[in-house]
Amino acid sequence: MAKTSVNSKIGEFFYSPASHLIKLRKELQWAIAEKQTLKDVYEEEKYKKLTAIKSKYDNLLAKPAFKACDKVEYADKVMADKLQAFDLKQYMQHRAVNHALTKAIFKAIKKGESYQSAIEKHQLQFKKVVAQREEFVKKLQKEKQDFLLKYNTKDCTEYDQLLAKLKDDYQQKEKEINLKINEKISARSKKLDDKIACLEQKIANVKTKIKHTVTLEKDVLLSVKGLKQYFGGLKAVDDLTFNVKKGEIFGLIGPNGAGKTTVFNCITRFYDATGGDMYFENKYGEVVNMRDFKVHDVILQGISRTFQNVELVKEVSVLENLLVACTREYQSNFWIHALGLPIVQKEDKILKAKAMNILKFMGIENYAGWYAMGLPYGILKKVEIARALMSDAKLIIMDEPAAGLNDSETAELTEIIKKIRDQFNVTILLVEHDMGLVMNVCDTVCAISFGQLLAIGTPEEVQKNKAVQEAYLGVEEE
Amino acid sequence: MDKRLKQQYSFDSLNVQSKTSKPIAKNVRGIFKNSTFQYLLFGAILIVLLLVSVKTPYLPYSWYGGLISTACFSIASIGFCLLMGYSGMASLGTGGFIGIGCYSVYYVMTLSGLSFFLAILVAILIAIIIGVIVGFISLRIESIYLVILTLGLSEILRNVYRVLSDSINIGRVEIFGMKILTADTMYIIVPILVIIMIVTKNLISSPTGRAMLAMKNSTAAAQAMGISVLKYRLMAFIICTVYASISGTMLILRNGSATASSGTSFYALITSLNILAAVIIGGYKSIWGAIFGTFVMYGMNTTILQNISFLSEHPELVTIISGVLVIVVVMFYPGGLAQLLQGFKGKISKLLLKIREAKYGKDLG
Repeated sequence: MAKTSVNSKIGEFFYSPASHLIKLRKELQWAIAEKQTLKDVYEEEKYKKLTAIKSKYDNLLAKPAFKACDKVEYADKVMADKLQAFDLKQYMQHRAVNHALTKAIFKAIKKGESYQSAIEKHQLQFKKVVAQREEFVKKLQKEKQDFLLKYNTKDCTEYDQLLAKLKDDYQQKEKEINLKINEKISARSKKLDDKIACLEQKIANVKTKIKHTVTLEKDVLLSVKGLKQYFGGLKAVDDLTFNVKKGEIFGLIGPNGAGKTTVFNCITRFYDATGGDMYFENKYGEVVNMRDFKVHDVILQGISRTFQNVELVKEVSVLENLLVACTREYQSNFWIHALGLPIVQKEDKILKAKAMNILKFMGIENYAGWYAMGLPYGILKKVEIARALMSDAKLIIMDEPAAGLNDSETAELTEIIKKIRDQFNVTILLVEHDMGLVMNVCDTVCAISFGQLLAIGTPEEVQKNKAVQEAYLGVEEE
Repeated sequence: MDKRLKQQYSFDSLNVQSKTSKPIAKNVRGIFKNSTFQYLLFGAILIVLLLVSVKTPYLPYSWYGGLISTACFSIASIGFCLLMGYSGMASLGTGGFIGIGCYSVYYVMTLSGLSFFLAILVAILIAIIIGVIVGFISLRIESIYLVILTLGLSEILRNVYRVLSDSINIGRVEIFGMKILTADTMYIIVPILVIIMIVTKNLISSPTGRAMLAMKNSTAAAQAMGISVLKYRLMAFIICTVYASISGTMLILRNGSATASSGTSFYALITSLNILAAVIIGGYKSIWGAIFGTFVMYGMNTTILQNISFLSEHPELVTIISGVLVIVVVMFYPGGLAQLLQGFKGKISKLLLKIREAKYGKDLG
């Protein structure tokens, strides 16, 4: 998606291969997602159909089953159920009586009177409650005897016959349903396969229109070359060059005002850099220059970021906060949203399942339904990291992840960052002031001061570097 | 089948479902919780109330005027609600946008003789153009400056109307050869209000609504999550202007005429301020709140307050009452009457718990 020549700029207004590619890839993504969940969807449909048949059979079997059952056992069960309901009711009565007694005793003690009369009254009421229960049990027993006199036969033949017949019927129906569902699955999956193949062909065609001239060195994910960012006369970043390798945790350190956050904002296109290039191998394995993209298209290339001060939507739940990161992944457009068509819910369901998985991974699935407003800061930081994971990014940029966390939370964060790198197969680029965290977690550390590179290497190397020590502690005066 | 026999005699006795069918009462409650059903019910109740006030002596005729103007202005307030509560922008241009609807209906119907519904379409198209212009401006200018800018735009629009034709009169509109009398306008206005409510609710609970909320909370985070600020700001402003314009077409349908130069016309500054007050009173994130706030501003006077003899003798007190209401709501319930209602729900459940504890003692564990 590199910038094409000036001649084709007018053409780009009507047709831009880059945006066409984005559209095609989104379609492809949803086709693949549907193919993966195809079996589950139809399995659910099948299960629903079968349970409907079963409940229909149960209704048919109801009368014969009553004839076939052991009447004494049945009567006992009915009696036990009724007694349980009665006990539940009486429990509340009992509680009210007890509570009244406690209150009466406290009152009497306060006044200094004897509470004998209250206890007597309570005992009287208690006896009443017990008597009520006995009466009820007697009534139930009488009912049971009447029932047994009325129905005393046990006849299994009708039930057995009907059951055998229904079982044959069921097997046949199950076979039919299976056949139908399998047919549906194969038809749909064939259609999807065709669609996927067609889309892949189209993507390949569109790709040829975009020329990628730059290649990165082996194992390099992001290459920043000669990055410059001037604010008027202030050189916030001045000719900075570094490489981030695939799968490593890269730390950017430096004293206050060194331009660390500015570098991040340049990479994520919040600032339009004065000069220099940032080459990035995107989600689809193409090398692109980040300068060609607008700030809201960066996430589609596979770079997502977190913020120094938590920036979440406070009025919606944690789960919906994660869905915000998927706004570009929805295939449905404004009109479909306005009409409230069921497609939206279908897409929501798939993305919500994905979000729940990520929340589980972060260990905060219990907070999924909570409003983001009022949650502790440590949880919010985790939610923000989870949100960055939602977009299947290849590079996650963390701006001071440990800011505002206590020691135990920082230790937990160290583990989480390492776990994310291993499990999601991403590269992490972080700015951090907490040196303990940086030295623990980073594979490579890059130190900058006044927008210029001081040192780059393993944490130990950088720690021993004299220029870095001077930048942090000042030059020794003799 | 009897649940006591299921364990032994059910057809598939190995996996008996413990789930019993839902009781009917619960199903009914579920339907009532469905927002679309609620809105339809609201529309039905509104039409019944209007019919009662027109056809029977049980409600005074003044109720008709109050309720129908509430319904008309509610459309504009819902749009404003979306703009302010969900996209975090405010405007004082509602009056001017309402005028777009009035004047498109006037010119399309009297000059070209096309049908009323076509006139609505034209009104929507012009509103979209104005919305795009304001939306682009909103990218550069924010908060209070945007409010002042839209105020200026509204006054420009109003003066344009004055130059075009100071007072417009379309008389009674004909639809499909039938003349729509004042009492029959509700059959057009109320269904359109219900449709607007349903569409807005759908948008709010969809990814579009979430994106707007994200943009309101933090522009930077929204952009990092792939949300184009340009797109959603434009969308919010277009929705707001289109709703206001539809509201204008409904108003001209009901009144038949309007004057631009009078201070109380639909497109004067007072309308914009009233709608802003209505949304703040009702709660700027709730559709019900917007409608209730509009009722307080536009309907309460003619329906309730004028029927109190003391207030009908001193009509100047009515304005004071609504002013005091705005102050009280902003001071104690910044979330509007919607927040008040939610607080009320919580208080009732607390009270019930207290009564229970007084009788049975505290729950253990």
